[in-house]
Amino acid sequence: MDFPSTQFVPSRMMGTYEPIHQIGMWGENFKSIGNPSISASVIVEVDNKLENESETASHEMPVPSCKHDQEASKPFDKIQRRLAQNREAARKSRLRKKAYVQQLESSRLKLIQLEKELEQAREQGLYIGGGLEAGHLGFSGVVNPGIAAFEMEYKHWMQVQNRQLGELRTALNAQISDIELRIVVENGMSHYFELFRMKSTVAKADVFYVMSGTWKTSAERFFSWIGGFRPSELLKVLVAQLDPLTDQQIFEVCNLKQSCQQAEDALSQGMEKLQETVSATLAAGQLGQGTYFPQVAMAMEKLEALVCFVNQADHLRQETLQQMSHILTTRQAARGLLALGEYIQRLQDLSTLWATHPREPA
Amino acid sequence: MQEAIPYKSYSTTRATAVGSRSPLLNFLGGGGGVVANGSESSIRKLVEENAVVVFGRRGCCMCHVVMRLLLGHGANPVVCEVEEGKEEAAIGELSRIGGGGGDGGGGGGIQLPAVFVGGKMFGGLDRVMSTHISGELVPVLKDAGALWL
Repeated sequence: MDFPSTQFVPSRMMGTYEPIHQIGMWGENFKSIGNPSISASVIVEVDNKLENESETASHEMPVPSCKHDQEASKPFDKIQRRLAQNREAARKSRLRKKAYVQQLESSRLKLIQLEKELEQAREQGLYIGGGLEAGHLGFSGVVNPGIAAFEMEYKHWMQVQNRQLGELRTALNAQISDIELRIVVENGMSHYFELFRMKSTVAKADVFYVMSGTWKTSAERFFSWIGGFRPSELLKVLVAQLDPLTDQQIFEVCNLKQSCQQAEDALSQGMEKLQETVSATLAAGQLGQGTYFPQVAMAMEKLEALVCFVNQADHLRQETLQQMSHILTTRQAARGLLALGEYIQRLQDLSTLWATHPREPA
Repeated sequence: MQEAIPYKSYSTTRATAVGSRSPLLNFLGGGGGVVANGSESSIRKLVEENAVVVFGRRGCCMCHVVMRLLLGHGANPVVCEVEEGKEEAAIGELSRIGGGGGDGGGGGGIQLPAVFVGGKMFGGLDRVMSTHISGELVPVLKDAGALWL
């Protein structure tokens, strides 16, 4: 858990004002919320700060002592200085208290959320997956078996995908017959349809998982629209690779692009409406009274529609692919599938490069 | 069997009469409501008299998507809200009215939202989406007199 050091403004002057007492107060309070990892790091933070402060304090010590010698001649200055120090100390103390309270609040919310997730996980009878990737353990440490199954299947799907891309490359260079090429193209198409089926299944298990795109690489997620790529975006990439097209083909592809865009807009607007509906349902009644389960339960019902959206978005992707394969010749379709596959590979490579690219530490 | 099922039906333009309206009115959405008495015969009449009718639950977001698609083509669909809790009965009734049109829900159950074109059952969002992409939707709408371009 992050505990930014900037939240604790080191007070240069505080070193002289009962440092031990300060640590004791913060330490006890942190222990009471039962989060040992926070208290340990905070105590260390505070320790370090005060250590630094005591160093600076020692540098500043000579000044007051100088003042002492001239006490008789400048009592006003000394009082003023003392008052200023007090004000400063009080201000710093208020800041620290505010930061501490904010930390406390967010921890409390997190605790509530953790308890809820634990409760839900228990109700659904989920098991704790052994040996599975930690990426989807979330907070509660239990893994949805639907997700675990999908992850494995997707890994395998990617392997088959890469193999098929290799076959496409070979087939295009080898000048095989159109009939044979057709088979390769059909395999490629079916493979994508397989992915949509897989996604539909896991969407029933956890639609947010599909929406989040955790199973994809980061660059792919950047382009995510309702759990996958925007068909119109992919069309743009494809069409550029498919020259030369006949006039008739250009006309049909243009129509397809437009229909695709319209369908995407319709779905996007539906999603916005869903957001409005869920938000309005959640916010119904008075906020701040403490009891809110009916609203949450009703909002959950509305949220079920999200599964429909994911399915419809994939349906749109599938229909667009189908339509393209009708417009193009077999050879063009093969080149198209290859182009698409390589484009996605480049996105995945981009993600890897990004992850391993050396960056300045935060 | 003639028991009234509460439907609320309204046109996206201000009047229920089908006539030439400016396409801009289509986008005002949710005009004045007209409560039909909801008997099967009046629903049947609704379906027969209007080129495009969409049956859906109130506030259903999928219904919204279907409407956007149809409106985008310049059609002027009549929306019929199915009352909460009465979906089963409504679907039963719609299957009876729909008869041999389209492959609504793949021969199984009709799903809401359900679209009727030219007095016949056309299908759900799935079919609207596929025909929209394949380009079949516009001719179908034209044949039913939903578009006058």
